[in-house]
Amino acid sequence: MNITKVKDIFIKELSIEFRQKFALGGIFLFAATVVFLIFKSFNNINPREWTILIWIIMLFAGLNAVVKSFLQEKRETYLYYYTLFDPIDLIVAKLVYNFVFLCSLFMIILVFMAVFSGFPVKDSGLFFMGSALGIFGISVVFTFVSVISSSDSGNATLMSILALPLVLPIVLLLLKISAVSTRLLVDTAVMQDVWLLVGVDSILLGAMLLLFPALWRS
Amino acid sequence: MSIKGLWWKIGGALIFLVVLIGGMTIPTRSGVTATQPSNAKSGESIIISVVGYNTHFKSAQNHRAWLKLDLIHAIKSSQFIAKNENEATLTFSVPDQFPSDDQVQPLTLIIDNEMDGAFVQPNALFVTLNDSTRIGNGPWLSAALSNLNKSEGIKFPYRNILNETIRNTFFHVALWFAMFLLLIAGLYHAVMYLRTGLYDHDIQSASFNKIAILYGVLGLLTGSVWAKFTWNTFWTTDVKLNMTAIAMLIYLAYLVLRGSSSDHDRRAKLSASYSIFAFLALIPLVFVIPRLTDSLHPGNGGNPALGGEDLDHTLRMFFYPSIIALTMLGTWMATLLLRYERLKEKIFLKS
Repeated sequence: MNITKVKDIFIKELSIEFRQKFALGGIFLFAATVVFLIFKSFNNINPREWTILIWIIMLFAGLNAVVKSFLQEKRETYLYYYTLFDPIDLIVAKLVYNFVFLCSLFMIILVFMAVFSGFPVKDSGLFFMGSALGIFGISVVFTFVSVISSSDSGNATLMSILALPLVLPIVLLLLKISAVSTRLLVDTAVMQDVWLLVGVDSILLGAMLLLFPALWRS
Repeated sequence: MSIKGLWWKIGGALIFLVVLIGGMTIPTRSGVTATQPSNAKSGESIIISVVGYNTHFKSAQNHRAWLKLDLIHAIKSSQFIAKNENEATLTFSVPDQFPSDDQVQPLTLIIDNEMDGAFVQPNALFVTLNDSTRIGNGPWLSAALSNLNKSEGIKFPYRNILNETIRNTFFHVALWFAMFLLLIAGLYHAVMYLRTGLYDHDIQSASFNKIAILYGVLGLLTGSVWAKFTWNTFWTTDVKLNMTAIAMLIYLAYLVLRGSSSDHDRRAKLSASYSIFAFLALIPLVFVIPRLTDSLHPGNGGNPALGGEDLDHTLRMFFYPSIIALTMLGTWMATLLLRYERLKEKIFLKS
């Protein structure tokens, strides 16, 4: 793995993203609209609904956002990358990019939710650590699945069909950790869940790094 | 497929037939389904009416019954009147002396006769101590709880709540074991496809995975029916249940992926990688998370696991063959799918 090349691809992704301002704006607008809609329909959101809603918004906004990351590029561009980069570099750069992107999306959703319906989190350290680990797992799954669905003639429906069941265990763990951090649930063994999340993340990451070079060749 | 010949197909079908017939027809042992009343005071004489299951209260001759307090303390019933084969009334005189001074003492009912053998109802009677009750052994040591009979022949254990549904062990549990064996076969061929690029490995992997998914769905269905009779609902919030449902969703997405592309090579490569990814995601789902959380299933949250008292020799006699038979039958079904796919491929290449 070559750090400078990873950085190059990462910067390239970022600049493409900022060049297409409408796509970026669209995703954030989507998040804002959904949060506002939820605020208007619930009026008063209690912590339990808050933790569930924030992850559901995150999941669907994230899915929309990541779909583009592989779909926006043409086959010819891939052929060009193929001559330039090691597959591991490319996938790591895409993964880091998706992770950073999803994290900022999450922060924005969090700010919107906090403005409209309060911030019930009591144990912020646990909440942000759990969220970061969970978002990392989600970005691994989304990156891998977007590779699969992009090589299959750019099918965006396929992406959601394949990705949602795979992220379910991560989201369930996240919901539990969030519930503990908002003191909805008292669980002294919550670190076990955090470690489990680390385990799931590393299994998925390992599988992706192993399988991507094989997929890439097509 | 490297296994040649008919023997294993016939073997699998025969073993499964034996499991089906044996598992469905062998009776369970005798047990107690209900007792009345469940409370008594020390020093009084009490008549307990007992409802048995698969018992021979009328036809058996030498009835004996005890109320047991702990390993050494028990009292014997003074009278045993059988109303019919499954109902009887027992008379006990609860002594005014107890070995310990706990305010409420749980007693276990043991009934024994030469036809049904000995059987037990735990916590059948709760005795509340009187103010006048003294501490002492009294008659508690004199009951000879020995020479218990054993019931003849092969019978499945009787468990409260489980009752006759204990037979589902041969189908529900065995289906999961067989499913995992088939998924491992599918995983092996997926890895082999990515390593060698031979199209045949891809259709082998797909056939095994498809049959494994079928087994998974059957496992969920048999489990759901079992849950209705033991937990009184078709679906619960139990972790194992829901994690397995997620696992099935992941594999159903695999079927969608296989159906989505018409380009053979690309489909093969994508579905092989996805199935490896899915299998790895399955491991924490099915083996790790349920172990960390409380579950109604045996082996989790303090419930006894397979083995111990729950899986006794008579159950093992059918449980292990059932796993083998279901795996063989699954492999057979997978080969049928495989041959169909191979023929399709041949026609495709000719045209």
